[in-house]
Amino acid sequence: MPVDTFDKVYLPNIEENKTEWLQDYLKGGGYDGSKKALEMAPETIINVVKDSGLRGRGGAGFPTGVKWGFLPKDVHPRYLTVNADESEPGTCKDRPLMEQRPHTLIDGCIATCLAIEAEAAYIYIRGEYYKSAKVMQQAIDEAYEAGFLGDNIFGSGKKVDVYVHRGAGAYICGEETALLTSLEGYRGYPRLKPPFPAVSGLYGKPTIINNVETIISVPFILTKGADWFKSYVHERSTGLRLYSVSGHVKKPGVLELPMTVTLREMIYDYCGGIRNDHDVKFVIPGGSSVPWLLPHQLDTVMSMEGVNAAGSFLGSAAVMVLDHTVCPVWAVTNLSAFYRHESCGQCTPCREGSAWMHKILMRIENGGATMADLETLESIAGTGKPNTGMISGKSICALGDASAWPVGSAIQCFRDEFVKHIEEGGCSYRNKRFWMSGDKFVNETAEHHPRWH
Amino acid sequence: MPVLEGRQEDIEKICAKYPPENRRSALLPVLWMVQEKEGWVSQDSMREVADVVGVTAAEVYEVVSFYTMFQQKPTGRHHIAFCQTLSCAVCGAYEAIAYICEKYNVPKHGPSEDGRFSIEAVECIGACTEAPAMLVGETLHGNLTPERIDEILSNCE
Ligand SMILES: Cc1cc2nc3c(=O)[nH]c(=O)nc-3n(C[C@H](O)[C@H](O)[C@H](O)COP(=O)(O)O)c2cc1C
Ligand code: SF4
Ligand code: FES
Repeated sequence: MPVDTFDKVYLPNIEENKTEWLQDYLKGGGYDGSKKALEMAPETIINVVKDSGLRGRGGAGFPTGVKWGFLPKDVHPRYLTVNADESEPGTCKDRPLMEQRPHTLIDGCIATCLAIEAEAAYIYIRGEYYKSAKVMQQAIDEAYEAGFLGDNIFGSGKKVDVYVHRGAGAYICGEETALLTSLEGYRGYPRLKPPFPAVSGLYGKPTIINNVETIISVPFILTKGADWFKSYVHERSTGLRLYSVSGHVKKPGVLELPMTVTLREMIYDYCGGIRNDHDVKFVIPGGSSVPWLLPHQLDTVMSMEGVNAAGSFLGSAAVMVLDHTVCPVWAVTNLSAFYRHESCGQCTPCREGSAWMHKILMRIENGGATMADLETLESIAGTGKPNTGMISGKSICALGDASAWPVGSAIQCFRDEFVKHIEEGGCSYRNKRFWMSGDKFVNETAEHHPRWH
Repeated sequence: MPVLEGRQEDIEKICAKYPPENRRSALLPVLWMVQEKEGWVSQDSMREVADVVGVTAAEVYEVVSFYTMFQQKPTGRHHIAFCQTLSCAVCGAYEAIAYICEKYNVPKHGPSEDGRFSIEAVECIGACTEAPAMLVGETLHGNLTPERIDEILSNCE
């Protein structure tokens, strides 16, 4: 285990899994972010956040201060919505943030509302996170009681309300405009952009949408300073980052690290290497939607620029590590089923394309596919790069792209294995499925069980 | 008995979170209220919710049918939502699901005969670093092994 030369701030005691309630938060200087923001002009707060270089932690990595600056002047009311839908497969860092640091998130909501001149913030929490919603609500109640929320926050005469709103099981509601439609009480259908939410968002009013980790960064930046944030830097990626590392590493978990860390260090130094000392087959570096990396790319620096240079995206910083027992065709079929299931169905390329790709992949995986199928698949999916194939760049939201990239990238990385499947009439990994929880369910001869849908 | 009877105060508290002209935002929270009480959302409940929120029953159904967590049929007393997405799948989720179905006699659709369990394979539940993972009712369980599964499920009456 490497010796870290920096202080963790987001989840310093993640292993303890304890909620920091109001009393504890105040002991450590809690709500200083909001108090500081109250002394600053909105413009100044936005400038500090711009100066820190903070970029969105939800997936797209858009500079946060710049986004806040897009709000049209003098149009009110404005809203803040916090994206706590966290449904990108592999990602599980917002849940510990909400369950362990609820008051830091509220602190961030207040500071952000002051910066963007909003009086109400909605935290949209995915339905499966029952506990997160309960903890957040209880912390919000505490904050109202203490006079930190409501019509006269900290006795300043300013008004900020924070509300929890629960989703009910739909990946697409993490897409910012779908989140808004869902919050308005409709099916979670994304909207065409422009207009961007900053201009016309919730209830048609100017709205800022940020990820939980983004908002929770704001109080740290205000209290410790933009320079502290910038002291962790790789190219244009500043600050510490929460990486969710899952799959076949010995010690999976949420890591808090500067973005100078390499993939190799992450896997071998921080996560104890690969189970059974197996070899890495491939890595998905930024949530299931992004193109794959191969073993020769393990020295990739895990910043936004570093991963871009390797041909993928840092996305939500969810790193899925797969060892050599994993069939890449099977793996991408699993992901393809996910996107087929989660496509909202509004646009034809995404709705039909995701189902079509999944059907072909099932044929390749289970037998019965021809080389023509692989060609068709490639023509739909493209090469794992933006605006290739029949879906990417041709749909309302980025779920369309996300359904195509993994497939295109899997073919680029493992074409020979796709061909082998076709030639041999199906997957030859079939009787080697020993994947239960590390090795706890080891059973090499186990019957092969399919995905449900 | 109507499911929302006597809940007027709670409902108004929910609606107060949103601007008065956007009462429809209360639709998901009120549906959750129904499901928490009944375990599922029946067509009769949908009509009630429609009246309370001020939309048509068809609009409520449109929403219910979009969100996978709203159950349109009764579930078992303990509803299991097992993750089958990649990080869990490579840690044995498919096998674990088959294990539960077989050992606890839970069919793929609808509850077990004794009404104790129902199971559903779902997409990523945000516990990928603790794969394989499942929700039993509202409680998340990760790092599952056959022993852990037995321990958890044997405590469900
Ligand atoms: C299909 C899809 C799903 C998304 N899911 C999430 C999510 O679960 N959480 C999240 O914060 N952002 C998600 N995003 C990104 C949001 O649209 C948006 O960019 C983000 O919330 C902005 O916040 P940030 O700038 O702080 O990152 C998703 C995007 C797409 C296209
Ligand atoms: S791209 Fe897919 S998920 Fe996005 S709006 Fe179109 S159909 Fe819906
Ligand atoms: S993949 Fe199973 S919880 Fe995320």
